[in-house]
Amino acid sequence: MERRVVITECSAITPIGYAKDDIIKSLKEGISGVKPLRDDGLLTDYIHSRVFGTVDYPIAYDFKRLYRKTMGPVAFYACQVAKDILARAGLSQEFISSGRLGVAFGSTHGSPSIQRHIYKTFFSNLKSEFSSIGAVDYLKSMVHTTAVNITRMFGITGRVIASSTACTTSSQSIGFGYEMVKYGMQDAMICGGADEYDTTAVAVFDNLLACSVAYNDKPECTPRPFDRKRDGLVVGEGAGAVLLEEYESAKKRGANILAEVIGFACNNNGGDLILPNIDGITTTLRLALEEAGIKADEVDFVSAHATATKMGDVIESQAIAAVYGDSPLITGLKSYMGHTMGACGAIELILTMYMMESGFIAPTLNLESVDERCGMINHTRKLTAVDTNIAAIQNFAFGGVNTCLLIKNGSAVS
Amino acid sequence: MQREDIKRQILTILEDSFEFENPGLNDNLRDEHGFDSIDAIELLGEIEKILGFSLTRAEKEKAMTIRTINDILDYIEVIASEHSR
Repeated sequence: MERRVVITECSAITPIGYAKDDIIKSLKEGISGVKPLRDDGLLTDYIHSRVFGTVDYPIAYDFKRLYRKTMGPVAFYACQVAKDILARAGLSQEFISSGRLGVAFGSTHGSPSIQRHIYKTFFSNLKSEFSSIGAVDYLKSMVHTTAVNITRMFGITGRVIASSTACTTSSQSIGFGYEMVKYGMQDAMICGGADEYDTTAVAVFDNLLACSVAYNDKPECTPRPFDRKRDGLVVGEGAGAVLLEEYESAKKRGANILAEVIGFACNNNGGDLILPNIDGITTTLRLALEEAGIKADEVDFVSAHATATKMGDVIESQAIAAVYGDSPLITGLKSYMGHTMGACGAIELILTMYMMESGFIAPTLNLESVDERCGMINHTRKLTAVDTNIAAIQNFAFGGVNTCLLIKNGSAVS
Repeated sequence: MQREDIKRQILTILEDSFEFENPGLNDNLRDEHGFDSIDAIELLGEIEKILGFSLTRAEKEKAMTIRTINDILDYIEVIASEHSR
């Protein structure tokens, strides 16, 4: 059994806004969400990169203690975007708890701030007679904390998939959720990813010389995907969730169809865990087209992974050129908010849907002078009014994991 | 330690940290306040602070039969008296 799968709701908490209108405004006006790195009292002094894609606006959470007590900051993000899409979808509680709705949601490694709290207990309070690891610390920090806090809050009894593959966490979540619905294992899936403010991730990339360090006094000028003066990625935070539904039932209940997921591919480079791999990436992009049953020239827009590392952008440009030539518009959305890690695939898909719906494609921010090694593809250099029928969202992760999601504009779904 | 004093401290903890609304001494903790096994473990940590010593595994397991605030107060009184012998 193969069924069509549509996206009927979405919500994102991003460094460039939470409400759809705020995000669209930032994309149209070229507003960056990259801010100075906040002092965390631990690692900040040792990190060379002093920038972070920051969610610096208040979010009015309204979660009862019953739910809050097992949530670290990453689960707050995840539950908030899940709550948004469920509230808007208006699904019955009977369906939500029927076992036919599942959750595919992940984060890079649970809640780093709670893990830090646990380590502090280990190393600082050993002499204190009464201190112990709190009963809820594991539930707050474990790697599937986002997915199961969502199931708990809404009484969801279907499947749980908790991808944790760094930068492909949420693109895998969406892809695996799509497969669950497509092949009839579930009728609907809440999919996405989240990551909280975390200097550990910055330190890791900083030590690998992969973080941006040249724009510490001008955070909004970095990251600079595909630009000659790019000097690395900027870590960010946020969350994104989408509701996937089987097409016929979504149509029957009169759901607003934002997009149809028409293809997904996921593979591994089968070798080095860090270096980008042209063969692995190219294969992923081709497999997604094959799965969707479309030709490369039908794709109008590619949301590139584009982290702004020196080699990553070059390899990705080569892969795009090999598969698509210079036809589709290419934008690196991380230029607006940095690399939101486990959330990036979901956030970049949601931003792509916002642009599709609003009839524009935003340019890659800070792309002032294209690196000639990235020059063979059709970079979006200015805000472009255009109808996008089919878009590709591609993401690549440490560990050699590659994903590509292909979506069709909801207005063209029939 | 007087029972009234213990009661005051426990009620403060339940209201402030566990967000109980209008706790009654004989309310069923689970049914009326959503108090679950996670909360029980957290509360035992607070009880250790009140008592001023660590509870043994056996003492903690005894706490699992607690159903009401009065049960909590009885439990603390018994443990405190056993330790003072």
